[in-house]
Amino acid sequence: MVDPTRCGEVADALAEVATGAASGPDRARVLAHLADCPDCRRELEELTRVADEVLLVAPEHDPPAGFEGAVLARIAALTADEPEAPRAAEHPSEPDEPADLPPAAEPPDAVVTPLRPNRWRRVLPYAAAAVIAGLGGAGVVWQATSDDRDLAAGYRETLDVANGRYFHAAPLLDDAGTQVGHVFLYQGEPSWVFTVLGDTAAPGTYEVSVVTEDGAQTIADYEVGSAGGGAGGTVDTNIYEIERVDLIGSDGVTYTAELSS
Amino acid sequence: MSDEALLAGMAAGDADAMAAFVRRHQGRVYGLALSVVGVPAVAEEVAQEAFVRAWRHAGNYDARRAQASTWLLTITRNVAIDVLRVRRDVVVEPAVVAEMLISTTNDSDRVADSDRITTALRALPREQATAVLLSVHFGLTAREIGEHQQIPLGTAKTRIRTGLARLRAMLEVSHG
Repeated sequence: MVDPTRCGEVADALAEVATGAASGPDRARVLAHLADCPDCRRELEELTRVADEVLLVAPEHDPPAGFEGAVLARIAALTADEPEAPRAAEHPSEPDEPADLPPAAEPPDAVVTPLRPNRWRRVLPYAAAAVIAGLGGAGVVWQATSDDRDLAAGYRETLDVANGRYFHAAPLLDDAGTQVGHVFLYQGEPSWVFTVLGDTAAPGTYEVSVVTEDGAQTIADYEVGSAGGGAGGTVDTNIYEIERVDLIGSDGVTYTAELSS
Repeated sequence: MSDEALLAGMAAGDADAMAAFVRRHQGRVYGLALSVVGVPAVAEEVAQEAFVRAWRHAGNYDARRAQASTWLLTITRNVAIDVLRVRRDVVVEPAVVAEMLISTTNDSDRVADSDRITTALRALPREQATAVLLSVHFGLTAREIGEHQQIPLGTAKTRIRTGLARLRAMLEVSHG
């Protein structure tokens, strides 16, 4: 039998445990009491529900553009660090509980490779969006590789998930008109272009060339293995002005995404 | 798809579920973070970290104990309070924010399910509503609220406890 006077003694502290603000000693005192007092356990449960509901009064605000991709990029980076996932030597490890939070939308690294294929195949494009959007200026290159042949098929989902913030996506075709990958283009600060090649693309080194009426500009180059890969970079030009994106292979193969239509 | 289904998907490592969950809740998570830390860039850090923690702990979510949205908001609040205590460059005026939180000027931005609690908070004596908000939103202890509001510790404790109890009574009534 619990002495009811003890319930009265912890009543104030109980309220603060419910709000989450109780000091360590108060919390310990309350928890010790709860062990023997079902009435106060019930009271705490009810007060906690009320306190949690109070959090709903905060008004909604849209986060900055790229927020969603930045979250997914962080999770992709965490997932890539898990033991069962292949881990890139260049990729920085992230502490399980960081003492200080990393800056928003900070790129995990200039090179990220490879993510857990099945689980993350659709994440990579919008992870790329976040990473590139987080880079400071033009000319910075972000590169990723993946052995998932379905990676490129994620662009439609990317558009859906991003609520149309991504300006454009288009197929990359070979000379015969066969689709070998996708290009994603984002109009923002900065704007960026990202290409993904599937495993039907010829292995080799590719330059990512962005073509406008003013000429061609190489924004990235990357190695593509038998499993495909992806890379891109920020661009100074307005995305609307890009007529074509070419992937120019070292062995003469060129893949093209037409954007002018 | 329900929040519960999305959380189950997240617990199983489903990236699409995570993307949908973020899309659905990012406004209220960022909004809460902003109301606590006051600085957009810091609020973005907080909101990102909250979602990362939700991803990590999705398997621990228990629908019997809380709605997914309030579960997520408590995570957000905890991250925001941690940041407030570490980051000396973040300066907020909790009492002013508490006043704003229940002000009618914010009504157009309120989340859909906040009507009951907003009405109940406005029906409380103002000093009790403020004490509850300082405790819940900013994690201030009764001692800190007492110092902040220049009131005795016992008064601060009573305002929190009485305020919460009255809110509970009002919410029970509005539940019907």
